[in-house]
Amino acid sequence: MQTSEIKYTVPKSIKKDTVFTFCPGCDHGVALRLVAEVLDELNLREKSVAIASSGCSVLLYDFLDVDCIESPHGRACAVATGVKRAHKANGSDKFVFTYQGDGDFASIGLGESLHSALRGENITAICINNTNYGMTGGQMGPTSAMGQITTTSPTGRNKEYHGFPIKTAEHIALCDGVSYSARVALYDIKNIINAKKTIKKAFEYQLEGLGFSFIEILSSCPTNWKLSPSEAHKKIENELTKTYPIKVFKDIKETPNV
Amino acid sequence: MSEKELLKGNIAIARSALAAGCSCYFGYPITPQTEIGEFLSYEMPKRKLAYVCAESEIGAINMALGASATGAKVMVSSSSCAVSLMQEALSYIASDELPVVLVNVMRAGPGQGHIYPSQGDYNQAVIGGGNGDYKTIVLAPSSVQECVDMTFRAFYLSQKYRNPVILLLDGMLGQMAEPAIIKDNPYPETDNSSWVLNGANQRPAREIRSLEPNQNKLIRHIYEMNKKYKALEANETDWEEYQTQDADFILTAFGTMARSAKAVCNYYREKGIKCGLFRPKTLYPFPFERLRELTKTTKKFIDIEMNMGQMLRDVRLSILSNVQISFIGKPVGDWLSESEMIGAIDNIIKDCYANI
Amino acid sequence: MYKSFIISGSGGQGVISMGNALASIIMLNDFFVSLCSSYGAEMRGGAVNCEINMSDSEILSVRNDKVDYVVALNQTSFDKFISKVKENGTIIVNLSLAKVNKIRDDIKYISAPLTQEAINLGNIKITNSIALGVLLKVLGGFSYDNIKPVFEKLLKNKQNMIQKNLEALKLGLDYVLDKE
Repeated sequence: MQTSEIKYTVPKSIKKDTVFTFCPGCDHGVALRLVAEVLDELNLREKSVAIASSGCSVLLYDFLDVDCIESPHGRACAVATGVKRAHKANGSDKFVFTYQGDGDFASIGLGESLHSALRGENITAICINNTNYGMTGGQMGPTSAMGQITTTSPTGRNKEYHGFPIKTAEHIALCDGVSYSARVALYDIKNIINAKKTIKKAFEYQLEGLGFSFIEILSSCPTNWKLSPSEAHKKIENELTKTYPIKVFKDIKETPNV
Repeated sequence: MSEKELLKGNIAIARSALAAGCSCYFGYPITPQTEIGEFLSYEMPKRKLAYVCAESEIGAINMALGASATGAKVMVSSSSCAVSLMQEALSYIASDELPVVLVNVMRAGPGQGHIYPSQGDYNQAVIGGGNGDYKTIVLAPSSVQECVDMTFRAFYLSQKYRNPVILLLDGMLGQMAEPAIIKDNPYPETDNSSWVLNGANQRPAREIRSLEPNQNKLIRHIYEMNKKYKALEANETDWEEYQTQDADFILTAFGTMARSAKAVCNYYREKGIKCGLFRPKTLYPFPFERLRELTKTTKKFIDIEMNMGQMLRDVRLSILSNVQISFIGKPVGDWLSESEMIGAIDNIIKDCYANI
Repeated sequence: MYKSFIISGSGGQGVISMGNALASIIMLNDFFVSLCSSYGAEMRGGAVNCEINMSDSEILSVRNDKVDYVVALNQTSFDKFISKVKENGTIIVNLSLAKVNKIRDDIKYISAPLTQEAINLGNIKITNSIALGVLLKVLGGFSYDNIKPVFEKLLKNKQNMIQKNLEALKLGLDYVLDKE
């Protein structure tokens, strides 16, 4: 049997000579690579505008080789609405997606996110859910799980002090303007392959003009979780997926709006 | 053929925006500017232009941020307390050097205040309500015709300097109707092909961002912005003077207050008293230099505003030390009539004139 | 020449439309004009008024301490604005909805049952056009032929209302007024 040489290739949509500056073991690098691969496969690099926001996700524009604009914290979906609509008014259709953290998408920016979903803006939002505010050093976020210890929930998240976490993909799936809403994870090869397929589907739905498509990516944050990268992935597999199941919550092609 | 029409200030702005080539409007209702959004919600879809009833003013201004990055002419309108909500994004827009036109039809404050007309947001517009070293071009119309002319100018300046422009008027002007003519856009189009985001096709990818981890780059960026502001101050400062040549005292006022002040000028001139008027048409850049020149010949200035003295700060900064400055104003939301102005001015100048 | 007007009534009486019509007539007769209307919460079913200035030179002050003419379409308006009439000015009162309480003797009172006249003509909504006719008659200088094209233009989207409004306007212009 002949073994062919496997070459590591960098997707065209990743900037040349990029060195990811995320923490060791952080899933952002994997997520961004998947996005870049899908952009390549769908031939979207030249017609894309990406929206970065605040937090670790903002570094998107250091790595992706597509036109990028940064939005104020939480407003990525509003900025994406403006980009998409302005191009449409100008007679051109661009591929527009946001790349945001969970604090950005589901806490400070929930209003903009939810209303873009309700309006059925024909954009794609990617939300990296690492269950805390990563860039500022691991504070409790809207998605921190019950009992999770963070720098602002030192004895663990509890309902008396902090209330409950938001299940973003489930909520977004309830909006009629949404074509696709799913949660994926990146803790093993199987899930990474599934995540890529899901991202591709969400992108294709935008290309078909079906409305707002959404992917929540459960990601590790080893530095702030104070775990090794593999322990962090185990935590996602064994604990977080109980709160945040890996699932497609809405696919308009399978279950149209009533 | 453009002909004279009876137009409300708000409608004049909306119509002129369309005539200037505005292709995107994002808004949220608030009195006294709601007609702008209502009118455009009817007209823009007919022309397949972008109109979004935003979920909030925060949503609206951020949609504008995104839309302007494509090179589109973008307008957002709102009023006072809701313009406060937009300050964060305005700071980003200024740093990103994006052309957005923001109309603030001022109502009374602070806080929710009420819908009565006011000039209470001079400070917010001119000094800036957002964080960081940035400037917003501020135009202050005083008639419906100027609402038309300055809307065209706002789009032009925003594109030319890649800078946010605020059209600042009080609720009375937004709501009042006067004959005005909307002609074709008098300004040339600006080439923006070197910076817009329309897909990295046969060119390197572009970034529009305010975050700059490299300290030196950030500092350079701010220096570059500052150069632009110096150019603005040198080239775009605009004002109106009325009988200032031989004036014993000069009234300073902007917007609708300057109209009444002009009538007051006429009143004094008829009595043989030499009164003049100085009206800044651009609040930023403020006509400091011209006002300073005037203080060489006129030693008494009276600033009139529908607030507790906001432009007064810039008037004070303009003048030489041996000049007397008085202030006439009422709290925001309380219209200052011609006769009230005269009463107050009489009090200030009574020692100098026997015939008052 | 400088003349100022206040038109006042309650929401639904067509105060703003009447102000708009008057201002348009003034503009199309080549005078300078300004029209300021009450706006926002205060007009939701409440009191509505507008202030109009007419001049042969540029209008600077748009708000007046006192005006030459007040049209009061209801009692609240009469009570509120009688003090705003200039000395020797005129107040036109809608007798159907207001009593003329002559608390001042330095102004002229003109009254007519405007709402009742509109009902007699078959549509209560044209009260404002009758009032406008009366006001223009008192003001003088404007003829029916002169005003008709303005009405046709203003009502171009309500073709079915043009005829009724013109009838109302004519009734107002021809009204026999008992000046007191």
